[in-house]
Amino acid sequence: MKKTTLSYHIIRNVLLFCIGLFLVIFSVYYYFTRNTIRETTRENAIFLANHTVNRIEQVLTPAEKIPEIVAKMLESAFLSKDSLIPFLKSMLSINKNVYGSIIAYEPDYFPEQGMYFAPYVCRQGDTIYSSVLGDKNYEYFYMDWYQIPKMTNAPYWSEPYFDEGGGNVLMTTYSVPFYTYKNGKRTFSGIVTVDISLEWLTEIMSQVKILNTGYAFLLSRNGVIITHPNKDYVMNQTIFTIAKENNQPAMRETGRNMIQGKSNFESAGFRSKWKSGKLWINYAALPSSHWSIGVIYPDDEMFASLHKINIILLILILIGLSLLSFVIYKIVNNLTSPLKQFAKSARLIAAGNFNVHLPEIKTEDEMKELHNSFSYMQKELGDYIVTLKDTTAAKEKIESELRIAKEIQMSMIPHIFPPFPDLPQIDVFAVLKSAKEVGGDLYDFFVIDGNKFCFAIGDVSGKGVPASLFMAVTRTLVRSISDKEFSPSVIVGTLNKSISLNNESSMFVTFFLGVLDLSNGELKYTNAGHNPPVIIKKNKEAVMFEKTKFIPVGLFEDFEYGESSLQLEPGDKIFLYTDGVSEAENSENELFGDGAIMDIIGRNLTAPPRELIHKLEEGISAHVNGFTQSDDITMMTIVYNG
Amino acid sequence: MKTFTFKAVILLFLLLFPIFVHAQIPKITFAPQWIPQAQFAGYYVAQEKGFYKEAGIEVEIVHPTANIQATALLSTGKADLISLFLITGMSAKNQGLDIVNIAQISQHSAILFVTKKSRGIDKLEKLDGKKIGIWKSGFDEVPKALMKQKNYNVEWVPILSTVNLFMMDGIDAMTVMSYNEYNNIINCGVNEDELNVFPVADYGYDVPEDGLYCLKSTYEKRRPELLKFFQATLKGWDYAAANKAIAIDMVIERMKQAHIPANRVHQEWMLDKVLEMIMISNRGAKRGELIESDFLKAAGILENSTKNKSKYTFAEFYKPLDK
Repeated sequence: MKKTTLSYHIIRNVLLFCIGLFLVIFSVYYYFTRNTIRETTRENAIFLANHTVNRIEQVLTPAEKIPEIVAKMLESAFLSKDSLIPFLKSMLSINKNVYGSIIAYEPDYFPEQGMYFAPYVCRQGDTIYSSVLGDKNYEYFYMDWYQIPKMTNAPYWSEPYFDEGGGNVLMTTYSVPFYTYKNGKRTFSGIVTVDISLEWLTEIMSQVKILNTGYAFLLSRNGVIITHPNKDYVMNQTIFTIAKENNQPAMRETGRNMIQGKSNFESAGFRSKWKSGKLWINYAALPSSHWSIGVIYPDDEMFASLHKINIILLILILIGLSLLSFVIYKIVNNLTSPLKQFAKSARLIAAGNFNVHLPEIKTEDEMKELHNSFSYMQKELGDYIVTLKDTTAAKEKIESELRIAKEIQMSMIPHIFPPFPDLPQIDVFAVLKSAKEVGGDLYDFFVIDGNKFCFAIGDVSGKGVPASLFMAVTRTLVRSISDKEFSPSVIVGTLNKSISLNNESSMFVTFFLGVLDLSNGELKYTNAGHNPPVIIKKNKEAVMFEKTKFIPVGLFEDFEYGESSLQLEPGDKIFLYTDGVSEAENSENELFGDGAIMDIIGRNLTAPPRELIHKLEEGISAHVNGFTQSDDITMMTIVYNG
Repeated sequence: MKTFTFKAVILLFLLLFPIFVHAQIPKITFAPQWIPQAQFAGYYVAQEKGFYKEAGIEVEIVHPTANIQATALLSTGKADLISLFLITGMSAKNQGLDIVNIAQISQHSAILFVTKKSRGIDKLEKLDGKKIGIWKSGFDEVPKALMKQKNYNVEWVPILSTVNLFMMDGIDAMTVMSYNEYNNIINCGVNEDELNVFPVADYGYDVPEDGLYCLKSTYEKRRPELLKFFQATLKGWDYAAANKAIAIDMVIERMKQAHIPANRVHQEWMLDKVLEMIMISNRGAKRGELIESDFLKAAGILENSTKNKSKYTFAEFYKPLDK
């Protein structure tokens, strides 16, 4: 694994957190600022559109009044046929915005005038020109300015047009139907119009300045482009043909909203050939002519200030994060440099150099605590090592004494085999494996009264030095008692009396003692609470002695022990053991058991004493499988040869 | 003296040479029946791409004005050859203009009745009793004949050229050309799905439209030149069909020269629709051929509308150039 430093981890985590925090703050800031700008722009756009609409209406609305008044005058027969042209002339002379005007009558309205009668005045330079229009080549009845208000019974602002007669000026005509009473019935009688030049319209629209490259345009009722910074569009295209030409269906939808008289400020779903990038549009309708003003806001310019602030902000944040990283690096390094020295010191201390120099800490913080702890550890370790040395020396001394005690104990029991080379009637083999350095098991055998073989096995309660001392006492007493007494029950009874007296430590010993008459093979024995030995009849079978009813030695001073006898045949063997054999445990706490003892014996009926004991040792060893021996293991085999 | 005479002869020859050359190339003045638009793209292309020159004729194209129709140009000798609707041509002949059809360029009718769905007219019979806008300048025979045959009482409202009266709901329906006024309505912001359309062709009135006409005398005197014109014109149409953008460029240029508002999108639409009518016949007519059944159908309509029976036979009216 790659080695990383603490400062790296801290800087990484702090930076990640800071970047996350920044992103959240920035997003919220961006969202709200953008909304604010959009809202402000929307308000400005609405104001601008309304302002422009009002400027246009200031011309169109008064112009509407003229033909409406004239229509009323005609309806009330206020004007005579002959006064029409002078009237129109004077009207034109006081209305500078009006370029021309017609009063066009229905066919044959004045029978003396024939089919057509349409007095007309118009400006030509500074003079006002007049004529009466209408003939076979100018059938005004079929012209939009006449036909549409007639058919719809409503005033009509015409689609803008270029007036070819008057210097190719962009014009529009406002037509109002008028009615007169014929036979008492109000009847449609003709149309009054005023022609308005739209030169000023282009001027007003071009004055609309939006940001750097935004622009305004004007649509007629049919979507025809009346004004646009791209002159090629004007009067040649409708917003719908532009939409189709540039394959912008959304532009068609916006156009439809516009000619339907709606108003809105919205993100444009279309792109313009005229201005690249994302656009916003505000549109509003002219109340009089139902034309629609569109104002285009380039998105990039609308949010230019925001983008500029964003860049500055980003740069500041990058610088800030760099500085933060540097400062964190410095702080962490200052804080952690003693740690490196502590780590070095710890390694030296581990290597045994307790007097190593610790780094100097001048602050009163956690590092100082660490220093104090290190220093305390250093001192305690030193003290501990000194104590440990003393303890180890004391322990070694005890252990050495225990070793000697064990040697003495072992020297008390016979350990030379065969023990009686000059007594062919018997052979004996025995082992004692202590669980600790000194144990409480004992065995012994000796010849008494010339031809009697006395043997004993016992197990002192408890372990260690007290047990071994108790065992030594027991062994010594047995030997001294059996100098004068040859009956097992008397020996054990005397032993019990002697041990029970002054037995303040309340220790006891299970004990089996047998006396074998070598001359006839008669075995007399007393079992004081010990495991029953096994009698192995020569080459036939092995049988466990009956369980004893006598209590261990040392418990009650006045306890009466009895004895039993058994006739051995030549070749019979007796196997004695302590509970360390039957209760040998493995790691699963399973006992070796009497069954296993009998099983091994059963398979080795003919084995000589030494071999039998070896087999049992192997069996026990296989059972415990290296698990710590918890009790002394003592085994003894006697063979009677007759 | 001798030198002077020689020089004078050379000078005279140089002065007269253009006249000699000019006189060798026959000139045809052609007038389509309307102002410049994509409806006549094949003629413009043939002229611009030099197909007429290659055929060995010089062609001048003149256009009628609001007041002077193509037939007037023909009768006054200002045009040798004009384009007319079949019905218009037959009507003119009935009225005494001695013309013949030398080729039937278009094979179908482009006339539609169109109405806004908001008017609730979703079947032809619902036009009964309604106000229908119709061209004042002609082309009215076929839709009028259809309404008459159906016995619908229709108030016809003559219209000069715009769709504004229709847009302003001054009328219930309007007769339009699929290649022209119909698309004008679309280009004024009305969606196609907001319109109901009844093509006259769907009601048994698929009368061919644009054909080439000349005075009978011209036909008799200048037949080879007329054939060259016809063949070069077909070549022009084929080129326009294969190179629509180039053809539209030429149309737009003509429109600008004539100071007519030029709208490319509209002209593209028109070229597509006109080509459909020129290129495909479902009645077995060859290109440029007028078949007798169409003639008779048109004669029937004309007779119905004017109460005058045609005074000429199919053979007298139609003079194919290649026979």
